[in-house]
Amino acid sequence: MIIFSIDHKVIGKQYIGLALFSVVLGTLLSLIMRFHLVYPDAKVRLFQAMWPDGAPGGQMTPELYLSLMTMHGTIMVFFVLTTAPQSGFGNYFLPLQIGAHDMAFPVLNMLSFWTTALSLLTLLAAFFVEGGAPLSGWTAYPPLSGLGRITGPGEGLGQDLWILSIALFCVASLMAAINFIATIIELRAPGMGYFDMPLTCWGWFVTALISLFAFAVLLAGGILLLLDRTAGTSFFIPGGLIVNDQVQSRSGGSPILFQHLFWFFGHPEVYIAILPGMGLISTVLSVFSGKKVFGYKAMAIALVSIGGLGFVVWGHHMFISGMSPYSSIAFSVLTLAVGVPSAVKTFNWLATLWGGRLRFTAAMHYALGFVSLFITGGITGLVLGQPGLDVYFHDTYFVVAHFHLIMGVAAIFAIFAAFHYWFPLMYGRFLNERLGKVHFFLTFLGVYAVFVPLHFAGFVGNPRRYPDFKEYEFLKSVMPLHIGVTHAAYFLGAVQLIFLFNYFWSQRHGAIAPANPWNAATREWRND
Amino acid sequence: MTNVARTGQMVLIAASAMFFAALTSAMVVRRGLSGDWAAPALPAWAFATILLPLLASWFVHTGRIGIAALAGAALVASQFALLANLQLARIAGAFCFVLIAAHAAHAAAGAAALARFGARAAIFWHFAGALWIYVLFLFGVWA
Amino acid sequence: MAIAILIAALAGATLALFFQPRWWFPDAISAHAKAYDAHFVVTLWIVGCIFVFAQGLLAWVVFRYRDRGQAPEAHEGSGKLEVIWTSATAVLFIGLAFAGQGIWAGIHLEASNPHALHVEVLAKQFAWSYRYAGPDGIFGRVDIRQIDDSAGNAFGIDSKDPNGRDDITAALLRVPAGRPVELYLKSRDVIHNFFVRELRLKQDVVPGMTIPLRFTADKPGTYEVPCSELCGLGHHQMRSALVVMAPGEFDAWLQEAQQKVAAP
Ligand code: HEM
Ligand SMILES: [Cu+2]
Ligand SMILES: [Cu+2]
Repeated sequence: MIIFSIDHKVIGKQYIGLALFSVVLGTLLSLIMRFHLVYPDAKVRLFQAMWPDGAPGGQMTPELYLSLMTMHGTIMVFFVLTTAPQSGFGNYFLPLQIGAHDMAFPVLNMLSFWTTALSLLTLLAAFFVEGGAPLSGWTAYPPLSGLGRITGPGEGLGQDLWILSIALFCVASLMAAINFIATIIELRAPGMGYFDMPLTCWGWFVTALISLFAFAVLLAGGILLLLDRTAGTSFFIPGGLIVNDQVQSRSGGSPILFQHLFWFFGHPEVYIAILPGMGLISTVLSVFSGKKVFGYKAMAIALVSIGGLGFVVWGHHMFISGMSPYSSIAFSVLTLAVGVPSAVKTFNWLATLWGGRLRFTAAMHYALGFVSLFITGGITGLVLGQPGLDVYFHDTYFVVAHFHLIMGVAAIFAIFAAFHYWFPLMYGRFLNERLGKVHFFLTFLGVYAVFVPLHFAGFVGNPRRYPDFKEYEFLKSVMPLHIGVTHAAYFLGAVQLIFLFNYFWSQRHGAIAPANPWNAATREWRND
Repeated sequence: MTNVARTGQMVLIAASAMFFAALTSAMVVRRGLSGDWAAPALPAWAFATILLPLLASWFVHTGRIGIAALAGAALVASQFALLANLQLARIAGAFCFVLIAAHAAHAAAGAAALARFGARAAIFWHFAGALWIYVLFLFGVWA
Repeated sequence: MAIAILIAALAGATLALFFQPRWWFPDAISAHAKAYDAHFVVTLWIVGCIFVFAQGLLAWVVFRYRDRGQAPEAHEGSGKLEVIWTSATAVLFIGLAFAGQGIWAGIHLEASNPHALHVEVLAKQFAWSYRYAGPDGIFGRVDIRQIDDSAGNAFGIDSKDPNGRDDITAALLRVPAGRPVELYLKSRDVIHNFFVRELRLKQDVVPGMTIPLRFTADKPGTYEVPCSELCGLGHHQMRSALVVMAPGEFDAWLQEAQQKVAAP
């Protein structure tokens, strides 16, 4: 059966299809948000048609903006960045690269995909229930997310569905992680040691290990939060609350405890998004430089240390949360320490290019763009990792700029590179190279134009998660900047159509690819 | 047993251990924070259920898988009986509920796996048994 | 080739924009805020140099080694280089982490000043209230059953406690210039965040906790306080202000407020 296929290639493509659907949806939501931010009073009939309660008369309510924001973040982080690089391309190419026939547990593989699909449906269902989608952001901090409808629209059934969706996603990711790890440990071709694996496999391996521990903790946090909402427990809800003039009968819970559980997952999650991309970029840079990866072993060790250190830096998301100021100091030092292996990777990428003969294929363009974005996005981590400085920037648009560049766009560039690089194996044809390069140049320009200016809104102190900026005198000055960003976002969104066209058109009409078109040395090109 | 099955179970065990570690550390932190901790009173027979996973492991060891799975099912049934009597409004009771329910899920999965895969699922079953001892220790001694 | 130019151009534009004066920090109105700005500029220079170095090298390498038919060189690693750049970045990054601790210590690790003005800050969806202890210097007990926003008792000051009779509640945070202030941040419902840009201070307000926050503002003026932790559909309208007054003016305001409380 094709739908419930247990073939890793089919499952890989299913994951990729799910991620493509999600990224289109997530992008559309972001464009609507960008529109609303600069034209908060506009009445748009389309909004009313889509959300009769959220946009009465076409006028978007703040709660609708916040729910679009929550869904945008959740869809992008979980269903795009956790799904495509690891489960999508990983499923397809890991067995091929290590010389295995399939993943270790094909049925489990099928189950994890369908659990992911169910999780996505559960999330989207939140749009259609009474009150709409939740408004507490992708981080869902209690008590806002822990008391039900009383804290706001969307905090009723919508928030329950959100938590349920995340719990399902955790289960699916745990199943996938078990599969990846067992496959790498047990099914490597005879004679292939760990240090004979391509760096892509190292990326998937470390990512699977991170998923295994991170999602287990998020699952625990999600279950406790759901009980606080539905069973009247007080894990995260303190006593003496009066919400909406109603006295709450809880006692003793700690909102900060939830944040610890969430970010113990949340920080490693950004590495889940980026490590598979790092592995792939190493390969692409080496193939198109005509050289081996510089410092292969150092690169593998850097991946492992990023994965390990990634578990002890979660507190940098909580510098202003009210936790002990002494722990902030420890988290700060560890955070800047995790920058070291990231810098080491960058140096090795540069050294891989050094002395090579660079062939500027479309995939190579995206890989070079990845490195540039990784630097631009990563460098501001050195600012935010210092608690003293973060005190001003936390929850401003400076952070929005930082994480979109490094986690969002850099990872997406790796996905574009993966498509161009592996398309010949997946469909027997090339993605159109010229369209690919045009798309690259416009997208590269677009992401710098959208996300760099947001740093400066952060300088002004512009808080994030605001549906509009009308209330404050000091925010009047940033409006021209936001208007520019919104237009750049339209441009960025529009040029993605080039990629979508290329993707679907080339499956049927692309130039036929020969057996090993890029002259790559890894196994997946030998098998067919 | 194949290496793949063994490795898969070991990795699964790592994930489960992490999940229980997360719940435990949440409990330690939550208990330390507020003065509203009152240990839940589990009935004395709850501690007798420690025998069930031990027996089951022994049956697995001696090749009597069917009986082992039955012992596992009996453990799950007794856990449901425990769950029915816990007070969720008290925080210690709530943690007790979550840990026992989480364990029941593991025990049920372990018993089902024994029934379906036989001795190949033994590793996970032994782990589930040890985990039950840990949960009982938490609420019998620590809490 | 084109991509080398584009990388250089975008990196250059990014760098140049970081030096634009139009969207920048607001005035610094405390010694801490000035120290913050100074440390930020230092950090920005360090980070800017790394940025220029890395992007510049990337663009240059891409340009230099573009395909001109040359044979690729064969080096595939160098333990010496790895050690050099690993330890160099380690020293730089971790050094930066330690250099940044002074600012942090200045906010949270300094002893409270015995002469500080104490003010309680209460956040709720979607408003802020402030409470001064009055002439007795003691905050009255609170009782959540007595909370009544429409009667002006957002804190729930217990009418039976004599210490509370002279407490003053206000909708704006008024403080005298030059005097240390110690805030006690509390929330009644969800998490909010108290942010004064000009003080370079930001602190979550967490229900179930009382979090102290200290500052000494030295420049009179009115400074907006935007809630900076998502707290619901009115988050973006949860606005308040810090009013820093000349000491004499503040005393006059306080006296007037006290008289109002004393003669209901
Ligand atoms: C066309 C590209 C994109 C645009 C224009 C865009 C725009 C936005 C906007 C306007 C916000 C809300 C900021 C706020 O109100 O605080 C936001 C939040 C967010 N975005 Fe994007 N975004 C884009 C792509 C992405 C990608 C690729 C990711 C993947 C990581 C992503 C992840 C997030 C997350 C996690 C949030 C935070 C949501 C929250 O606050 O809970 N975005 N984005
Ligand atoms: Cu982080
Ligand atoms: Cu708020």
